[in-house]
Amino acid sequence: MTAPEVAPPDTPRRARSDRTLSGWAFLAPYGLAVAVLIALPALLNVGYAFTDHTGLTRDPQFIGLDNVQRLTSDTFFRDSVEASLFHVAVSVPLRLIAAVGLALLLAAPRPGGRWFRTAVYLPTVIPDVALAVLFLWVLNPLYGPLNQLLGLFGHSGFNWLADPSTARVGVVLMLLFPIGEGFIVVLAARRMLDGRLYEAAALEGCGPFGQLRRLTLPLLAPVLILLAVRDTILTLQVNFVPAYVLTDGRPANATLYLPVYIFDQAFEFSGFAYAALITIVLMVITATIIVAQLLAVRRWRILR
Amino acid sequence: MSGGLTGARNGDGRSGGAGIRLEKLSKSYGRVRALDGVDLDVPAGELVTLVGPSGSGKSTILRLIAGLDRPDGGRVLVGGQDVGELPPHRRSVAMVFQDYALYPHLSVLENLLFGMRVRKVPRAEARRRAHDAAARLGISDLLERHPDQMSGGQRQRVALARAVVREPSVYLLDEPLASLDAQLRITTRADLLALHRQLGTTTVHVTHDQAEAMTLGDRVVVVHEGRVRQEGPPQEVYDEPVDTFVARFLGSPPMNLVAGGGVLGGEPETIVGLRPEDLALDADGPIEASAEAVETLGNEAVLLARCLDGTRLTARTEPRLRIRPGDAVRLRAIPGRLHRFDAGTGRRL
Repeated sequence: MTAPEVAPPDTPRRARSDRTLSGWAFLAPYGLAVAVLIALPALLNVGYAFTDHTGLTRDPQFIGLDNVQRLTSDTFFRDSVEASLFHVAVSVPLRLIAAVGLALLLAAPRPGGRWFRTAVYLPTVIPDVALAVLFLWVLNPLYGPLNQLLGLFGHSGFNWLADPSTARVGVVLMLLFPIGEGFIVVLAARRMLDGRLYEAAALEGCGPFGQLRRLTLPLLAPVLILLAVRDTILTLQVNFVPAYVLTDGRPANATLYLPVYIFDQAFEFSGFAYAALITIVLMVITATIIVAQLLAVRRWRILR
Repeated sequence: MSGGLTGARNGDGRSGGAGIRLEKLSKSYGRVRALDGVDLDVPAGELVTLVGPSGSGKSTILRLIAGLDRPDGGRVLVGGQDVGELPPHRRSVAMVFQDYALYPHLSVLENLLFGMRVRKVPRAEARRRAHDAAARLGISDLLERHPDQMSGGQRQRVALARAVVREPSVYLLDEPLASLDAQLRITTRADLLALHRQLGTTTVHVTHDQAEAMTLGDRVVVVHEGRVRQEGPPQEVYDEPVDTFVARFLGSPPMNLVAGGGVLGGEPETIVGLRPEDLALDADGPIEASAEAVETLGNEAVLLARCLDGTRLTARTEPRLRIRPGDAVRLRAIPGRLHRFDAGTGRRL
């Protein structure tokens, strides 16, 4: 089979520039929206970070690095960064392992497989507020199912949301369920892998575990990296709802994740400018983690 | 190698490999009956070509020998041993797939080393065998490339090298030439034959291309609808096809078959066949026809003619015929080259 010709080599120059022009024209609405709704506010945000804007100030004044100074001595901010880093460090690997593991287990067509796949995706469809309310019940120390489950093993259970360390675990647990998107991506990627490769490997004596290690994971590596990067960005932000519904940032600031603290500052403590500065910090943290991830995988030469 | 099969190796590096014997092999995929009682004997060291149209079951035979699928009934013997219970890697077979199935994330060298790493072959020996195989197939300068940086022909050689590295008792080649362009296919065909001569290992080669089946292989096995229709040396099968299917399948253009004999003469309960090259243009020939089309192939031409009773015949003729569609032509069947088949069963009479 020959590949279809994309464009005959003798296309007149004008026709080609027309096509370029129409390409830009199609891009324009999106470009405009990005500029007005994302780029411009982001720039404004950077500007506000160095003012005394409370959110209601009619005429915010430039106050230099006062907000930065405040940040360095803010123990709540330090708690907040710590909570966020803990959450990313625990949640991203667990979510990835769950999504990849379930996708690989359920990728092969087998009877009833679609029901299991639906079941895995289902929590992703549930609004996160509803899921959080559900988890208020799951984590309830008196009648919640989780403690009852632990009781079966003779454990007295935890006072989940009242204890700083278990409260963080509770949020991680809840966010371990909405993994449908990563699950679907891995499922699709796994199904695109050539079955012949697995037959060739089987002929060479490569068992299921060897196939996972030598074929599936290396071949899926670009997708896995994409998911890790995406989940890092997501995870630093989506813990807002569970923290708000389950713990309101408490106990002892254990779940005062950066988005929660930003929200508190911006809309409850009239610290709009200060919150703007913290969003910049959140972005820097996110970018730093992603760069670290990409540097870490660069030596595997996956992203050729 | 743990308890698997190994080929007996002679001093010169040639190994006859192991003979293969298939007994009453049958296999269905769902409601599709892929194989229906296949018996086949491949002596050690022989190159056998399985040929048949797509869906005839020839690839299924390979998969059952390799152990990638399990037969519903019948036995597979390699080197006289029933391998039915052995997993693929214990059968000492190497398979080359049509699309090569090279590991895309690994370089050529790593592709060659893959199986030996899995089987824990010592590093130095593995590298030596990989380099040997690469040299044998002329891909030593490609070892650092990845599959997506190579042409189809180069990839095909890597796939063959990966099989050679295995030092198997049996090679299974599943349409190894099908993805190559016509020119390359012919040179690679010769290379494949030379490789088999060098290694001397039992090889089962599957193709749907009848020309490839004719040129490659000590023996050709025609498979159709899950059964072996005929086997034998290519020329023998070509000269004496056992039924109308084999007659039409081998040879291009296909054999002329005329029900009841018609213009070729014969009894009403028979089908009479005549190869296009056995039908000659002859001004005094007994068969009157009119030319419908002339296909010029350079070194020869193929004349499609319609006889007075409506029968269509194909004749292979000299090139540069001065015949135009509609011209009246006379044809003669070369005596003694007629094939007769039973009209009901299609079997040779």
